[in-house]
Amino acid sequence: MKTLSSGKIGKIKSRHSPEVSRQTGFPSAATHYAEPSIDLQKELVFNQDATFFVRIEGDELEEFDIKDSDVLIIDRSLSAVPNRLALVVQDGEFKVLRIPKKNVDSEFILWGVITYIIHYTQ
Amino acid sequence: MIALVDCNSFYASCEQVFRPDLWGTPVVVLSNNDGCVIAANKEAKDLSEIPMFEPVFKIKKQLTAHNVTFFSSNYTLYGEMSQRVMNVLETFSPKVEIYSIDEAFVDFEGIKYTSLESYGHCIKETVYRHTGLPVGVGIAPTKVLAKLANKISKKYAHINNNVFCIDTEEKRIKAIKWAKIKDVWGIGSKHTKRLQNIGVFTAYEFTQLPEEWVRKNMTVVGLRIWHELKGVSCIEFKTLPKPKKGIGTAKSFGKKLEDLGMIMEACSYYISEVTELLRAQKSCATYLQVFLHTNYFSDRDKQYSKSITITLAMPTCDTFVLIYEARKALELIYKPGYRYKKVGVCLSGIIPQEYVQGNLFHTPPKWNKNELLKTFDAINRKYGKSTVFSALVGTRIKEWELIKEDRSPRYTTQWKELLKIKAKKSLQKTEGF
Repeated sequence: MKTLSSGKIGKIKSRHSPEVSRQTGFPSAATHYAEPSIDLQKELVFNQDATFFVRIEGDELEEFDIKDSDVLIIDRSLSAVPNRLALVVQDGEFKVLRIPKKNVDSEFILWGVITYIIHYTQ
Repeated sequence: MIALVDCNSFYASCEQVFRPDLWGTPVVVLSNNDGCVIAANKEAKDLSEIPMFEPVFKIKKQLTAHNVTFFSSNYTLYGEMSQRVMNVLETFSPKVEIYSIDEAFVDFEGIKYTSLESYGHCIKETVYRHTGLPVGVGIAPTKVLAKLANKISKKYAHINNNVFCIDTEEKRIKAIKWAKIKDVWGIGSKHTKRLQNIGVFTAYEFTQLPEEWVRKNMTVVGLRIWHELKGVSCIEFKTLPKPKKGIGTAKSFGKKLEDLGMIMEACSYYISEVTELLRAQKSCATYLQVFLHTNYFSDRDKQYSKSITITLAMPTCDTFVLIYEARKALELIYKPGYRYKKVGVCLSGIIPQEYVQGNLFHTPPKWNKNELLKTFDAINRKYGKSTVFSALVGTRIKEWELIKEDRSPRYTTQWKELLKIKAKKSLQKTEGF
């Protein structure tokens, strides 16, 4: 998202919302600096209508840092840029690959580009 | 120009997006109570032996014999996917009329494009890329012609790749000569018969009828279609839906019920569902219909069905009042000794809350000040459906609710039902191989 700059301080417009102070005693010095807390849906999902979450089962993808029961955020609207991780369909099955540099006989159908891997540390 | 964008076999396609193993194979979706086939993809339709709208138990053998995959309907998923498609369409024009769950009119007025056809292809490809759903696009100067163009785009998909424009007079004439009168949007079976009787079989022949005849015999509605087929736009573009005339729900039980108590609980549950909708659109209902019936398809059971409509003392949207009224109504129509399959409720005479008139004994309540109902709705919105409910709904829902055995996961709305993918690496051929 583009930020509008006015002189030295850049303010991100979309994250502003005026809030009424709930302090009963002294007025809060933070009143004019209030911002909504971080919303992961807003930060990690670029195109909501084209984004799907999927869960991975198994360890075969560890070389891509994808572990068992990780959740992938997949954006279907992104184009196939070489080297990005992607979910593809090959022989009627979902598979994960790093998009090759040259289009080597594209034997796969791109399902979506993987944008984030959500991993629970236990 | 107006485009009609329509998803190809929408329900089946929604299922297939998440199941690449089923791409290119026949898929059907069953009605809410798994009663009959309500949607089939092209591969399933090509198996002409499978009749649609037949009770499933009659055709289950044929389905399995042809390796048809069947799903119970998953309306949560279809609703969400539909929303995504409509959102994508709204990036192409500010004026989108959502006509049904799987089709929308898109108004191109004021939109700059280099070529209509390529804009149509762009819409088609973007919807597919973002949602995984295939659509057909018909573009024409009027809604009726756009509908027709869409039909042509599907019928001749192998030539036009699912996008068809009626953008010249020549194409318009060709299209309406091709279209059978019964396939024209807005012409029902009664008018079709009547037109065929006077020798009108195509849309073109219809447009050749004198204006006066059409107005006299088919009212102004028929006349609008007549104009639209000639390329004169006169059916307005609606971006807001008409207020609903009736809200109802009726679902089959998971098993047949004899006990009035259990039926009443199901009925109260349905009332809770519909009144929630009623309040969401800030309306009140004037009439309440309750109906009850046994299984028509069962030869063993004695058959009984009855419906009752009551006029409420004052239009209302209060769950508790309506549950009370529905239970009273149910007591009137229930007869012991039958095995019931379904109970249903329908609210009608729907008016905005502020239009409710008082009567001699009561002044109309201020619905927006009803803290109980407001809190009730707020809690359920925040913590999930039926977090709080009337005690009359009871807690035996698992005993009567129908479990949809073959429903797919709610991939897009439930964290616990996410699409599961077996970790598999794609093995790429190395260069020079």
